[in-house]
Amino acid sequence: MRLLTGLVLVVMAAAALRGLLPRRPGLTVLAAGIAALVLLGFYPQDLATSEFWAGAVGFVSILSALLIVMHPNPMVSVLFLILNLFCTALFFLMLQAQTLAVLQVIVYAGAIMVLFVFVIMLLNLRAEEGLRMSMGPQRWGAIGFGAAFAGLMFWALRHRHGAAYVEPKPFVEGFGTARDLGTLLFSDYVFATEAASVLLIAAMVGAVLLAKRRLE
Amino acid sequence: MDPLALVVIESTLKVGLVLGVIMTVVAYMEWVERRVSAWIQDRRGPNRVGPFGLLQPLADGIKFLFKEDILPPHVHRALYLLAPGIIFTTSLVTFSVIPFGPPIEIFGRQVRLQVADVDSGILIILAISSLGVYGIALAGWSSNNKYSLLGGLRSSAQLISYELAMGFSVVGVLMSAGSLRLSEIVDFQVRHGWNLLWQLPGFIVFMTAAFAETNRLPFDLPEAETELVAGYHTEYSGFRFLLFLMAEYANMITASGLAVTLFLGGYHVPGLHLLGLPPLASALVQVGAFCLKVAFILFVYVWVRWTLPRFRYDQLMNLGWKVLLPIALANILWVAFFVLRGWA
Repeated sequence: MRLLTGLVLVVMAAAALRGLLPRRPGLTVLAAGIAALVLLGFYPQDLATSEFWAGAVGFVSILSALLIVMHPNPMVSVLFLILNLFCTALFFLMLQAQTLAVLQVIVYAGAIMVLFVFVIMLLNLRAEEGLRMSMGPQRWGAIGFGAAFAGLMFWALRHRHGAAYVEPKPFVEGFGTARDLGTLLFSDYVFATEAASVLLIAAMVGAVLLAKRRLE
Repeated sequence: MDPLALVVIESTLKVGLVLGVIMTVVAYMEWVERRVSAWIQDRRGPNRVGPFGLLQPLADGIKFLFKEDILPPHVHRALYLLAPGIIFTTSLVTFSVIPFGPPIEIFGRQVRLQVADVDSGILIILAISSLGVYGIALAGWSSNNKYSLLGGLRSSAQLISYELAMGFSVVGVLMSAGSLRLSEIVDFQVRHGWNLLWQLPGFIVFMTAAFAETNRLPFDLPEAETELVAGYHTEYSGFRFLLFLMAEYANMITASGLAVTLFLGGYHVPGLHLLGLPPLASALVQVGAFCLKVAFILFVYVWVRWTLPRFRYDQLMNLGWKVLLPIALANILWVAFFVLRGWA
């Protein structure tokens, strides 16, 4: 746990240093790398705990989620969204739901995000320089609700019950392979599966119909 | 010895072996491509560097390394540098789930000739190869050049369209073997005969889609040199350009390996057990058979290049959506009929 906290602090310090010394990116990377290596040398045993990896993936996923919203360039935002979806896949993998993890990569990172990239390339969107939000009610509201949410999170973390960290394990014993997933989908959840498939077909037919009407 | 340490040593050795072999084959595919092209066109091809020109890949590699690495001023720097890395990494990772030989025993330890025998093997190949699209699309976009952009756009549309046909052509194999695990698919073919024999439409769709997925002629529209200069890698030079080239060959090797595993019985040699060879020798013969099959499909890649002209873009889309997809669906029905009757 100390390794994770240290690495998070190093990343935050590197970000601050990057802001202070914008002309020397190499120096920042070098300093952060050395600090990270020193930390690894002190606490190598943390690498074997699942707690460290869950925390590290969680940190990367939060960081990428922030950068999706904050980065001015839409293409870079999409790349961070892909990184974020990849972190979700890693979480599935840690919970030993391997098939779900692979499906997450195929469907979201591999197929849906390609369409995002395709649209950005087609419209040739550029970095948005002028778009800065004014101090309207939206911004004040965001700050207020953000602070309230942070307070709630802090309160929840202080008043949690029982163990601080639960070792990840499969929800049902033996769950995670493609066979188990398929069996579950076509036995217990067969109605939901079929309903979703009917919905998808209806949406697809609708999309084709709308596109066709515009051509004529 | 600690069992965990043994696993780590075994995996490291296998990864090193597979990576070394793939990189060597990638280097020599360049030589093979030029020699076979020359042979088909009744020329001589590269024959000056070493015997039969065998050292040509080495000379070319050194040339690429010593060329100036040009970073054009108008590109998006970070993505321009990242794109070749993405495409090269994804092309190398995919081979890891393909079994290239039967399980053997070394020092009383069962060793699978496969880097990772994972439960959702075929899905992992589809997942990682679908991430490779970003390399091409980003290279095209970040170059900030209209030819590159058009190449990137074409490639993302093409890869998405043909990924579907490829996925559907594989479903037949999965249904008959009843598993996503590539080693079990090979086991099924060892017991029941190669899938090619009764799933020929699936095989044809798979190979066509594989040609499109690897951007080879007749589907090389993303880099069509008569229209787009060099498509998505117009702005790249030196070693970064070499990365694109190597990724293309590595993808071809993986696609060939996958085709062999799914339809040509993998490492299986019919009638080998009748010879009564010792287990290790028979395993070696089977690894050799796998390599021969892959080599044959790689040869077909070059052969097709000088046989078929490039498709027009609308022809490409028509072929993918209106021809390949229905054939693949019909193949699924055909296999489903067999599986339902319990014949397979």
